[in-house]
Amino acid sequence: MAIKVQVPTPMREAAGGNAEVAVAGATVKDALADLVRQYPALQSKLFDGGKVRPYVNIFVNDEDIRYLDELDTAVQDGVTVALIPAVAGG
Amino acid sequence: MSDISPETNPLDRYSRQMRFPGMGKAGQQKLLASRVTLCGCGALGTVLANVLVRAGVGFIRVVDRDFVEPSNLQRQVLFDESDVADNLPKAEAAATKMRQINSTVTVEPVVADIDRTNIEDLTRDADLILDGSDNFEVRYLINDVAVKHGKPWVYGGAVGSQGMSMTILPGETPCLRCVFEAAPNPGDVGTCETAGVLAPTVNIVASYQATEALKILSGNLAAVNRELLTLDVWENTNRRVKVAPLKGRKGECPCCAKRQFEWLDGAHGTQTTTLCGRNAVQVSHRAANRLDFDQLAATLRASGAVTFNKFLLKFNVEEKGDPFEFTVFPDGRAIIKGTSEPDRARTLYAKYVGH
Repeated sequence: MAIKVQVPTPMREAAGGNAEVAVAGATVKDALADLVRQYPALQSKLFDGGKVRPYVNIFVNDEDIRYLDELDTAVQDGVTVALIPAVAGG
Repeated sequence: MSDISPETNPLDRYSRQMRFPGMGKAGQQKLLASRVTLCGCGALGTVLANVLVRAGVGFIRVVDRDFVEPSNLQRQVLFDESDVADNLPKAEAAATKMRQINSTVTVEPVVADIDRTNIEDLTRDADLILDGSDNFEVRYLINDVAVKHGKPWVYGGAVGSQGMSMTILPGETPCLRCVFEAAPNPGDVGTCETAGVLAPTVNIVASYQATEALKILSGNLAAVNRELLTLDVWENTNRRVKVAPLKGRKGECPCCAKRQFEWLDGAHGTQTTTLCGRNAVQVSHRAANRLDFDQLAATLRASGAVTFNKFLLKFNVEEKGDPFEFTVFPDGRAIIKGTSEPDRARTLYAKYVGH
């Protein structure tokens, strides 16, 4: 079992068309580094100068990492990391 | 006279709604006495307007800057082909339908672009603000004005098969900026133009929003959803994520913690807006006086085809082989089709409309 990262629709093209990517790592930061290592095109979609873009929220099992330990939030196999950007249209 | 006909008992039309335990007669009477400003009357907005007017919300102000187009009819439930043929502004077309549905409540259409200069006037007397817009500029403006004046509002967004909604009760729940610190740049997240949109996506999101509105207006605050709802109707996902601990973001939220209303104060926001779903840019210009369409049409006929009614003027022109269509409103605002570049739109506006 690995950590599952759920990739939102606007970022899927940069993730090889995948809705979910299996990654490894002890923290959210490590997990995302592994994600970007597998799909380098995601770097600029997710980050702006080392910081997560302000309209992308990261949830670990439905909890926002901003009230956990931010990018240092611990993750383990079986955990789901969801990347959830704001939805614009309407 | 034992019969109670609909004419003699105006509450009869709401009998099924009142029978629902959460609503009851007391809840219904609160709805009838309540006032809502609906910001935007497109896909989300028409669904919201439809539910609210049928439910008996006593006063509904519908604000929209746009007019009805053929590509709206796939999902914007209050409009039909005759509205397109008549070139009607969405707010006016919606108000006509809403009055046919329920003549016992008050509907106030406002054909205007929501910006920092008018949003406080448009929402001052409202108990609730509903987001029927298609862009984050309006949503952050709503968030500023709602937090500043302590009014609840309900965010909704829909692109493709994905939707999102969140209810903001200022002082009680996180505000939009607690959860999404800044607006995405155009192109960074999907738009109606790049990703398309399915009618059920907007219907479902707006129906969640409308339910939140009914809870708030009927005094059922305990029933309000305090989580961020995100769903995808194509991928069969529907989840609620916890956002309550983000409230005030440890005192750093510029809006609800520091009370800096940056969108309302004009630190953010622009004079041009690229419109979702179309190769078009809106140029906002506040004319000192309302435009004289007779005079403008006479000037523009030298360059291209012009038609107008009392709500809008259409002007088609070709430049360097590129066709452009201007839709000009009496307040000086224009939507320029044929470009998605704000600078080019500003130039075209200055060239043909003036200033």
